[in-house]
Amino acid sequence: MITLWKIAFRNLGRNRRRSVLTLIAVALGMGLLVVLAGLVKGEVDSALRNGIRLETGHVQVREESYEEENLSLAWEDLLENPQDLTAQAEALEEVRVATPILWANGILGAREESVSVRVVGIEPHSEAHAPFRESLTDGQFLEPDDRGGILIGQRLADSLGLDVGSDVSLLVSTANEQPDEAIFTVRGLFDTGVPAYDETTVLLPLDKAQAFTRAEDRASAVWMLLHDREEADVIATALSAPQFKVMTWRELNFALLSAVEQSTGIMALMYLVMLAVVAVIVANTLLMSVFERTQEMGILAALGMKGRQILTMFLLEAGTLGTMGVVLGILLGGLGVLYLATIGLHIGDMTTAVAYSDMAIPSTIYAEFAVQDTVMLSIASLVITILASLYPAWLGARMEPAEALTAL
Amino acid sequence: MSVIQLEDVTKVYRVGEVDTRALRGLTLAIEEGEFTAIVGPSGSGKTTVLQMMGCLDRPTSGVVQVNGQDVTRLNDNQRADLRKGTIGFIFQFFALIPVLTAYENVELPLLLTGNGDKARRERVNELLEAVGLSDRAHHRPDQLSGGEKQRVAVARALAVNPVLVLADEPTANLDTENGNQVMEIMEHLNEETDTTFVFATHDPRVIPFARRVVTLRDGRVSENSKHA
Repeated sequence: MITLWKIAFRNLGRNRRRSVLTLIAVALGMGLLVVLAGLVKGEVDSALRNGIRLETGHVQVREESYEEENLSLAWEDLLENPQDLTAQAEALEEVRVATPILWANGILGAREESVSVRVVGIEPHSEAHAPFRESLTDGQFLEPDDRGGILIGQRLADSLGLDVGSDVSLLVSTANEQPDEAIFTVRGLFDTGVPAYDETTVLLPLDKAQAFTRAEDRASAVWMLLHDREEADVIATALSAPQFKVMTWRELNFALLSAVEQSTGIMALMYLVMLAVVAVIVANTLLMSVFERTQEMGILAALGMKGRQILTMFLLEAGTLGTMGVVLGILLGGLGVLYLATIGLHIGDMTTAVAYSDMAIPSTIYAEFAVQDTVMLSIASLVITILASLYPAWLGARMEPAEALTAL
Repeated sequence: MSVIQLEDVTKVYRVGEVDTRALRGLTLAIEEGEFTAIVGPSGSGKTTVLQMMGCLDRPTSGVVQVNGQDVTRLNDNQRADLRKGTIGFIFQFFALIPVLTAYENVELPLLLTGNGDKARRERVNELLEAVGLSDRAHHRPDQLSGGEKQRVAVARALAVNPVLVLADEPTANLDTENGNQVMEIMEHLNEETDTTFVFATHDPRVIPFARRVVTLRDGRVSENSKHA
């Protein structure tokens, strides 16, 4: 076996240019797949992370009749005593933070322009809203007793020509389905990096939002983050009651998760196409190698080497080339992922198209090294490389020695 | 007992729609320790006879026996095993494995027969010394002259102490000096080890070395003469 491997390895050095080009093809193919997998993982993970921290939390408790699509403010659709429920949730050790939240549809007007927004009433001091606090680019965060201040996204401010201190009008549809309008002052601007939020979200202190929308002390949901998101089902069970609808992050991010699931097939197809290209290149190299070395097959057979040993020699050659290519590809891809994890890939306003969807896709995607995909792709590359070399290897192994020697 | 026995052997090659009869009922026996030349014009069947003797090809009809064993009934693996331990080959174009050094080329048959490290080392060094190439052991074929390559091929052919060495035009690509040198080495090894040598040639310089000359014409033995 060592002899076969020695011959196989040295054969790779025989036509260095061809071997190097094949190696580069395998490495580039593998590298591209690693980068692609890293970008997809980065996008999916960050969209899910953003979705959870900015929008859905890990668990939400709502009134059974609450209609999310309408951001209903009808009293019967809202939680009656959200503070009690919040306290009950916070008493659970798996729960990191729980807070009542109120959502309402609104229209924000400034000068001649107005845009549809989603008004979010929050408890400003709750740790749950740290992502907004940390992404503040200008001004101050909200105070609970602020009766005239709002926070808006930097993007929304830019599009309306607003700044900290600007006065805006905010129109909401109240609990009794009557519109109400008031003037608010922009206290601060935030930039979460997710256009879907930065262009459409207006934050108000919960008390003011409740008063403004006539919801009184009701809330749309009790929103919570857990220490470990895998405990969501446990918490959902603990908080379940006939009048409540308890939803976990999986249900709340259903659109994203099902999009990911649907895209898995497409990704697999892309991987397969790329691997097929690599396989064709390797098979081509091996075929040329077999035809060039026909006489050597004859010599080896004359010396008593069996067909399966010749087959093994070619497979070792392909395996060595494949392994080197895969290792080089992982290194190249790893560097690519490292670059994209640091600098990111700016996809800009493309995400505006999904700004009103449920997906929190950031405007810059930061890749993450997809270990599981890389392992799977490495194995697939090697297997496909070996499979692609089976035909040339079989061709070399089945040659009649006399026939092969006449190539002399 | 004959080392090789060919009885009424025919070989028909089909090239496209045309059948070419390379051997037409050839019968020939090679005895142990012979140093035999097979001569004849191009197309007379010299190479085909060697391929039959070396179990590299199967006859269309007839029987080929090596050491009394009918090899026409053996499968590919059995024929490979027989070649590995019994027959050494020397080819016209040296036929060394280009990625292996002279030492490794000679060592290859010993590896295939499963010899241990020490036995291999001793045998390879002994053979390279016998062909005068001890100082070229770690050169690859492209760093050796034609004569040197053919001497490596001779050493490789003898590595496993075969019963029979078959050489197809061993001097065809060598000048007179190198050709003579290779023939002298083969002759010496034949005398010293009693290994049977059969070589196909149309090189008149080689024929005087042979103690028996078999002449082929149109796929049959036309003349069979023994020299002193």
